[in-house]
Amino acid sequence: MTSAQPKLSTDARSPNDPVFIGVGEIPSGRYPNRTFMGDLVEVASRALADSGLKHDEIDTIVLIPCLHSFADQADLIFSRLVEELGLSKAAKSNFMVHSGGSTSDNAVRIAAGLIASGHAKNVLVLQAERWGSADLTEMVTMLTMNGIPKEWEQPSGITFNAIGALITQRYMAESGSTPEDMASVCVAFRKWANLNPNAMYRDKTLTIEEIMASKLVSDPVRAKECPMLADGAAAFVMTTAENAKRKSDSWVRIAGSGGCVSHYSLGQELEAGQLGWKIAADRAYEHSAWGAKDADFAQIYDSYAAVTTIGAEGMGLCPPGEAARWFRSGATSPGGKFPMNTNGGLLSAGHTGVGGGLALLIEGVRQLLGRAEKPRQIQNARRGIIGGSGGSYMDAQVLLLERIEKGDVQ
Amino acid sequence: MSDIVKTFQGGLTDGKLLIQSCNACKNKMLYPRHRCTKCHSNDLGWVEASGKGTLHSYTVVRGIPPAGFEAELPYGLGIVKLEEGVQLMARLKPGTSGDWSQYACDAPVTFGKPPQGPGADRAVAWFELA
Repeated sequence: MTSAQPKLSTDARSPNDPVFIGVGEIPSGRYPNRTFMGDLVEVASRALADSGLKHDEIDTIVLIPCLHSFADQADLIFSRLVEELGLSKAAKSNFMVHSGGSTSDNAVRIAAGLIASGHAKNVLVLQAERWGSADLTEMVTMLTMNGIPKEWEQPSGITFNAIGALITQRYMAESGSTPEDMASVCVAFRKWANLNPNAMYRDKTLTIEEIMASKLVSDPVRAKECPMLADGAAAFVMTTAENAKRKSDSWVRIAGSGGCVSHYSLGQELEAGQLGWKIAADRAYEHSAWGAKDADFAQIYDSYAAVTTIGAEGMGLCPPGEAARWFRSGATSPGGKFPMNTNGGLLSAGHTGVGGGLALLIEGVRQLLGRAEKPRQIQNARRGIIGGSGGSYMDAQVLLLERIEKGDVQ
Repeated sequence: MSDIVKTFQGGLTDGKLLIQSCNACKNKMLYPRHRCTKCHSNDLGWVEASGKGTLHSYTVVRGIPPAGFEAELPYGLGIVKLEEGVQLMARLKPGTSGDWSQYACDAPVTFGKPPQGPGADRAVAWFELA
C-alpha cells in the first residue's frame, strides 16, 4: 500500500521552512452567552499575541468550518473575519478547508504549502463551534443526515455513536481488551483535562467504575465513553522560519506527514479494528527523519477511546493489541512515560465539532513551544506526533512536529 | 432516484440482495457504483448474492437514534462481509434469546426477511445468525 512519498521541499535551515509561532484558545464547554464571531476574534487575537505578530501582518486566513450553522459558515466563507479583524485590502486570501475532524491536519498542509512556495507569508488558521449551546436533537439529526450514505446506510438507523461502537467492538475482539480497559482510556484523558483550564471537564474527575455504571448507548460503548458536544474556539499562526527568527528564539516545524483515506461509509471499511492508521504512520515516518521511538508525546483524535487505541498501535507507539492495557497502566497519563492527549482530548476537553482535532493539534504545538500551563507542560518536549481523523474515521492523518531552537539552525 | 438505487432497493423489496458485477472484469461491488472500481468500465450488471457471510462487527443501538427510528429501539446493526468478497451495513435480527447476546465478531450470518414491526419497509438488508 505504501508507495514512495514525495520529499519535503524545505528543511530546518531553509529560510522558507513553514513553522508554527503561536496558538490561541478559549475554554470549551457550554457558554450560551458567548457568540460565534466574538469567539473567533478572541482566539485570533490570542494567537496573534502569542506569535508576536501584529494583526495586519496576516496576509492569508484559512478557515476551519463550523457545523452548528450553515449561515455562520457562509459568513466565514464570504470573508466576514477579514472585516472583523481589520484586514480589508491587507488580506490576500480568505478561504475554507474542510475534511471533517481531520481538517486541522489538512489546513496545516495547505498553510505550509502556501508559505514554502511563497504564496503566503503569515497565515492565520482558526475555528469556532457552538455545539454546546445548540439543540442536541437537531445536531444529532444533522450528523446522521450528513456524511452517512443516504441510499445505502441511513435506512439502517446508524448513528455516530454506533459508528464508534462498531469500531470499538472490532478492536476489542481483535485485541482482547475488556470494557474496563477501554474505560481506562477515557479516565487517562480526564486526568489531563483536570490540568487544562480550557477543558470542558477541567473540574470533574472520572473513574472506571463511574463509566461502567453509566448506560449502554450503543453496545459496547457507554454514555460516559461518548464525547460531549461543546462550544469552543482555537487558532494558530504559521510563518517562514526566516520570519520566526526575528520574533522568537524557538518555533515548531513539520518534520513530515502521512495520510490514508480508507473509506467513505464505515460499511465499506475492510478492517474496522485497524482503519488507515498504520498506512498513514508508515508514510509519515518515511517522509520524516524520525519515527515513533523518537517522539516525546502524541495527540491522537479520540471521539471514542478505540479510535485512539487503534491510532496508537498503527503508529507503533505500543505493541499491536496492547494500547488499551497500556493506557490502563498509566503510561500515557500525567507523570507517565509517554503523555498522550494532554489537553484531555475530545472526550474530556469537549467535542467542538471540526475543532476537536484542532484543539489536539494546537496542544501539541503549545507543548513543543513550552507554553502549556506548568503542571501540564511535558519537560523537554522536542518531538510530537499529531493524529487526526474525519467523518466515519474515513481517514487517518499523521503529522510529525519538532521544536527548533534558533541556536540549532544558525 | 438513480437506476442503480432503484434496482438495488427493488431487489430488497423482492427479498433479494443484489450485487453489482462488472461485465468487463467480473469485479463485484456493493454498494452499487457508477463505474467499476477496478477497471472503470461502465458496463455493469447484477448478480444475486448467496446471502452467506460473516459479521465483521456489530452493535445494539439503545439510545439517541436518528429521527424516525425511536419506535425501533433497541436495534442491532452490523458490518457483514459476504462470501462474494463485498460487504455492507445491515440490520441484525434478535437471536433466539430475544436479544443480540448470541452475536460475535466473525460469526456466520445469513440474509433473511425483515421481521414484522416498525421499520420493516425500510430499504435495508436484514441478517440473522446462521
